[in-house]
Amino acid sequence: MQPAAASYFDGLTATRHVVIVSPSRDLRGVWLQGPSLGTQGVIWPLDRLRLLPGQAGEMTLTMVADTDDEAPRDPARLVISDPGMMDFVRATAPGLAKVDTRRGTYGRLALRLTGAIAAIGLILFVLLPRLSDQLANNLSPEREVAFGDAVVEQVALTLGNVGSSEIVCTAPAGEAALETLRQQLIAGQDLRYDLRLRVFDHEMVNAFAAPGGQVIILRGLLDEAGSPAELAGVLAHEMGHVQARDPTRLAFRSAGSAGILSLLLGDASGGFVIALLGDHLLSAAYTRDAEAAADAFAHRLLTETGIGTAGLASFFNRIDKIDGNLPDYLSTHPSSGNRAEQARAADQGAANPVLTDAEWQSLQRICG
Amino acid sequence: MTFSTSRTTRVSYTGERGPIFRLAFSTGLLALITLGIYRFWGKTRLRRYIWGSTRLDGDAFEYTGTGLEKFLGFLVSVVILAVYLAVVQLVLFALGLRFIVNPRTEAEVLAQLVLIYATFFAVLPLIFYAGYRARRYKLARTRFRGIRFGMIHGAGGYVWRAILLLVVSILTLGLLTPLMTFRLEKYLTDRMFYGDARFVQGGSWTRLYRSMKHIFIGLGLLVLAAVAGAVLATVAHAALAAPVAILLGVVGYVWLIVGMIYFRVHGFAYLTRNKRLGPEIGFDAAPRTGTVIGQYLLGGLMVAIIVGVVAAILGGISFVLFENRLVSGAEPPLALIIAGVVAYLVLLIFAGALTMALITQPVLAHFTSTLTITNLEALSKIRQRQHDKGADAEGFADALDIGGAF
Repeated sequence: MQPAAASYFDGLTATRHVVIVSPSRDLRGVWLQGPSLGTQGVIWPLDRLRLLPGQAGEMTLTMVADTDDEAPRDPARLVISDPGMMDFVRATAPGLAKVDTRRGTYGRLALRLTGAIAAIGLILFVLLPRLSDQLANNLSPEREVAFGDAVVEQVALTLGNVGSSEIVCTAPAGEAALETLRQQLIAGQDLRYDLRLRVFDHEMVNAFAAPGGQVIILRGLLDEAGSPAELAGVLAHEMGHVQARDPTRLAFRSAGSAGILSLLLGDASGGFVIALLGDHLLSAAYTRDAEAAADAFAHRLLTETGIGTAGLASFFNRIDKIDGNLPDYLSTHPSSGNRAEQARAADQGAANPVLTDAEWQSLQRICG
Repeated sequence: MTFSTSRTTRVSYTGERGPIFRLAFSTGLLALITLGIYRFWGKTRLRRYIWGSTRLDGDAFEYTGTGLEKFLGFLVSVVILAVYLAVVQLVLFALGLRFIVNPRTEAEVLAQLVLIYATFFAVLPLIFYAGYRARRYKLARTRFRGIRFGMIHGAGGYVWRAILLLVVSILTLGLLTPLMTFRLEKYLTDRMFYGDARFVQGGSWTRLYRSMKHIFIGLGLLVLAAVAGAVLATVAHAALAAPVAILLGVVGYVWLIVGMIYFRVHGFAYLTRNKRLGPEIGFDAAPRTGTVIGQYLLGGLMVAIIVGVVAAILGGISFVLFENRLVSGAEPPLALIIAGVVAYLVLLIFAGALTMALITQPVLAHFTSTLTITNLEALSKIRQRQHDKGADAEGFADALDIGGAF
């Protein structure tokens, strides 16, 4: 093995030592000799040599050592570019490509990973819901109504391709029928908000509650509902959500989690948040308890107003038979059949007709 | 003191298109497969390549950061950010509910604006903080001739200075931008070290105005366009008004854009020429704006053509394969949709790797290879510095996505 010239950096100063590298006498190391390294020179044991990633045509070597560096490596460096010497090192140094990790690295990784997941989970599922419920409950009714208007506007923008005014259905006869229906739904009820009903021209079979007493009916629901009583049943269910302030709380919850998302994604304005809220309301992922409470509210309201729960029951039966394009709150529940039975069981006494046939037809044609 | 007799040494960049493209593309694919987790290791490998391709006096720079420490730093930073951002966002949301939605009076419009900016300013300190920490981490993981670079603590002081200077710059309609650029760079530079030798930023902020001259010319042309349009429209030559105003406007706009690039390039050169390392080592930089713009235009054109051709070929293949299905109008099966999304993401990664090889690296190569060091021999007196843990290992910068190209 011919000795070869190389560059050696001692890790203490930025001096470049020009050295001659050769195998050590016992052949268990490389021996570095040069004018600046004293008479003895420096010996690097072959088994401690590590290759640093670098460019073709040269080799940057270091030694594994117990330092406080980012990797357990000696700060000194040896750069060889002599092909013969590079071949010698490659052939004799056993651990060139070895990755050295400190004891306890994987434990630390596992700990941090668990910690991070737990913390994010805690924020998303405990801290944010608490905080947002608190804020939602302290919201004044006027603000809630204004907020609901903005959310509904956003939903209108999402659903319609053009401006928000285009999607609202306003045929006068239909609006009159809707008002008749509204009067029956609120008759004798002590409601937290002034109930407002509107129809949007969209084929989705859905109705949703917005913060501040608004319930939006999508035209698909009017097409699908078999009778005014079925529609009234669904509306009573949504009124249950309104009364319990479910949409407001949901909006606040998603605002908090959307805050994390939107800011991490680099959207600092509130636009994304409001857009996401609209989407959330459409898919209305309320908890099962909230749904059950809204059902119970609907049963009581339908009974008290004399509309009767038979309509709601038959609507549940109907959506059991169709599939696809259904709102989550209707389709993801374990069995609509069960809810239909509960609705029927809550029925006490005969139902009054909600709308006349003529009124029902004008309502169904409210979108023209 | 004069340094006329001292030797100057040019920095060189030896990276090539092929290796960096393969590296960027393969690490991008691995990041996709691991749902983004590999990006910390990918970034590490990319930096190792770029640092290793940068040479001074025959010796390569070395990047010693690790993917694992970046990942660990990210885990901590993301939790802190999540708490901060979630709470700030929620409180601002509750405060602004009346204004953010449907402002009805002028006062409400104003309140809405204030709140939107409040959200922005709530993140701003974090962005500056992350910026300082990222530079400190990069330096702490850079070595030359076995000696560490480094940066001392100071992110807190940087944050309030940066915000103050930004506000001043905005209030003066950008006229005091050189003050901000210079003071912030000086704050950073004066805290940087190579071994035990400290970097110092000299010069003065007023000298940066010379780098802004083309911005002023561009703005002047835009003003001239407006004035000329208005004047010509009122006097007899009404027919001339629109074409003259449009022509001046377009020229002024292009001039302004080029002027901004000129400011970046020449501002960098000025600041570099006035940096010193220790008492003896100086720097000179001579990047050319024309070269940089040419590299962006040519590289951008090449990326666009290659990505366009590849996308067309992929589109053609999928059309031939799935023609029947597409024509029949039936709902595509889920597997096909997923395949489409994956193909799209892979195409994005492909375009990103091309950008790295054809734009980012050439520009970087131009900046490094026009950099010279004076009196390099003085390096031999510089001694090693302590290891810096790097704390969050730029986890904040990563979580806020302000890492830049590499």
